[in-house]
Amino acid sequence: MYTGTRKIYTLWKRASRMKKTSTKKKNQLFHWLFLLPTLLFFGVFLVLPFALLIKLSFQDVDAMLITLNTYSLSQYIEVFSSPVYLGTIWSTIWVAALTTVFCLLLAYPAAYLLVRAPSRKMRALFYILLVSPLLTSVVIRTFAWIVLLAQNGLINDSLLKLNVIQEPLSMLWNMKAVIIAYVQVMLPFAVLPIATSLSETHVNLRNASMILGANRIQTFLKVTLPLTIPGAITGAIIVFSLAAGSYITPLLVGGRMQPLLPLSIYQQVMQVFNLPLAAAMSISLLVLVFIIVGLLGYILKRWEAKMNG
Amino acid sequence: MSEIHIDHVSRHFDDNIALADVSLTIKEGEFFSLLGPSGCGKSTLLNIIAGFLEPTDGVVHISGKDVTNLPPYRRNLGMVFQNYALFPHLTVFENIAYGLKIKKMSRQEIKERVEESLALVQLEQFAGRRPHQLSGGQQQRVAIARALAVRPSVLLLDEPLSNLDAKLRKEMQFELRNIQQRVGITTILVTHDQEEALSLSDRVGILGKGRLQQVGTPLEVYRAPANQFVAEFIGQVNLFEVALSQTNQPSPAGEISYEAISHMDGNIQPLALAATQKPEFKNGQALFMLRPERIQLAFVPLDLTANYAETRLLEMSYVGNALRLKVALAKGELVIHTPDPMFAELPKPGDVLYVYWNPEDLYALEAGE
Repeated sequence: MYTGTRKIYTLWKRASRMKKTSTKKKNQLFHWLFLLPTLLFFGVFLVLPFALLIKLSFQDVDAMLITLNTYSLSQYIEVFSSPVYLGTIWSTIWVAALTTVFCLLLAYPAAYLLVRAPSRKMRALFYILLVSPLLTSVVIRTFAWIVLLAQNGLINDSLLKLNVIQEPLSMLWNMKAVIIAYVQVMLPFAVLPIATSLSETHVNLRNASMILGANRIQTFLKVTLPLTIPGAITGAIIVFSLAAGSYITPLLVGGRMQPLLPLSIYQQVMQVFNLPLAAAMSISLLVLVFIIVGLLGYILKRWEAKMNG
Repeated sequence: MSEIHIDHVSRHFDDNIALADVSLTIKEGEFFSLLGPSGCGKSTLLNIIAGFLEPTDGVVHISGKDVTNLPPYRRNLGMVFQNYALFPHLTVFENIAYGLKIKKMSRQEIKERVEESLALVQLEQFAGRRPHQLSGGQQQRVAIARALAVRPSVLLLDEPLSNLDAKLRKEMQFELRNIQQRVGITTILVTHDQEEALSLSDRVGILGKGRLQQVGTPLEVYRAPANQFVAEFIGQVNLFEVALSQTNQPSPAGEISYEAISHMDGNIQPLALAATQKPEFKNGQALFMLRPERIQLAFVPLDLTANYAETRLLEMSYVGNALRLKVALAKGELVIHTPDPMFAELPKPGDVLYVYWNPEDLYALEAGE
């Protein structure tokens, strides 16, 4: 994914350099023609609805929650002054951050395995194992956790039968379940960029570290980890933004009462019918995620500049 | 006491034998080169000494201690890699301090040691730079300083100069030797560049096909190669195959005549050789070696009966200080290196050249496998 975006970037650079030829105008027209369907599609189905959403978020509602044609910051004031919503925002970010941290922790060993696979066939097999869950629906993957974690689920049944516990543990319908399911669903998105980063670090760098007296753990912490930070940040950006915006997974394993922003937005739209408030929440969530992702991106850029000039 | 003993070391990769039963002792303070074509096993041997690879068989001793099963970080070695392997996220100072920090030395000690190492490679003013801000030669020096800063018992050099351009490589060779002698550290250089190995080393080990073909001083391996492989690998060589015959009788001057069946002179007869050395005949055949620079040129016929041939020039390349010629006999070719004649006109392909050499220049060689 990481190299993918790079490749697209270099292609784009090359394309923009090509424009400087004598057939510049013709080429440009050609480019726009090719882009037109995509631009139209995004314009109609992304930009336009998004603009409407922004507009909606500034609209007032009356006592019956009917949307009015007057504009104010009242929805945003409600989002950012109510302790309930502030708590929801906080726990949304906290859960996404925890998910990101766990994903990164689990992704490193998996990425190592991918990069150090003993043969090409094994590597292909590992990649298939890693990516194949992405081909099934999130609903199905999350549903498997219900089967495992429920009161009469696989884990409780086994523990009861083994007499480890006397009463079934309640593992479902809480934040822990949400985080567990999140980590499982999003792990591949962390593994792939880290594996790319790992495969780009030369084996001699690890060898140099070891010959200088560093054992394997020291070598990982002082050489491998710093050098794969770009991959880790790329993975973190993807996982964090997915985890902060997911709605199906927390609904299925956490229940609709969990203090998570996507669930609150759903409630406002489908149950309370306060559309402007839902819009303001959506925009707030989006801006928050943008800020955090932007920050991570900035760190990434600084780090790469430090290493490569 | 930082001798290295390599005792019957072998390494197999699946069915491939990368290294077959190598035994070798590298002396304290010695500059030793492992020389060989790619795939000869020299990197495998270096990696076994460094601890990155375990030998399939055999034992490695460093400073009298069996290190065969020790990981690289317990061997107290210094190593310079082909791509330098400087840590890109650390400054020059931090790169050199890396091994010292691992050893938990005090900040003051580290500072002193890094400055000392930087002074050794004359890069004092570059301490704050990052590797990408340095030229190839400077990165090379930092890599040397980093390896030496931990005061290793042995310095390993894995083709350290092959990424530098020709002129810089010469300079660095000189400097490498200089540093090595000042520090007095036992050094092993792995290289495929014979000139580099010969000019730097006290002794050279030539590896071919996974076996140690010869160990000797640069002089020995060039003048007295142990076998055909070494002769052909170190410098260029003309090989004459001779057959055992009745005529192999010494002359009053102590020279013995042979007929080179691999070469025929203009009279369509085996080329007549006269040598002072006695070859060992195997299955009735033996080999003589003649270095290209020992052959002399004449532009008129000479009255010689042996070690002389009338030839036709095939190819010539002028490399400034020398002429490199390839000439044809009736059967077989000879390679000739001769100093630039300066004032004379250079011969052209097709020209007839008369070549001759001294009996002492024919070196009897052990035939290859």
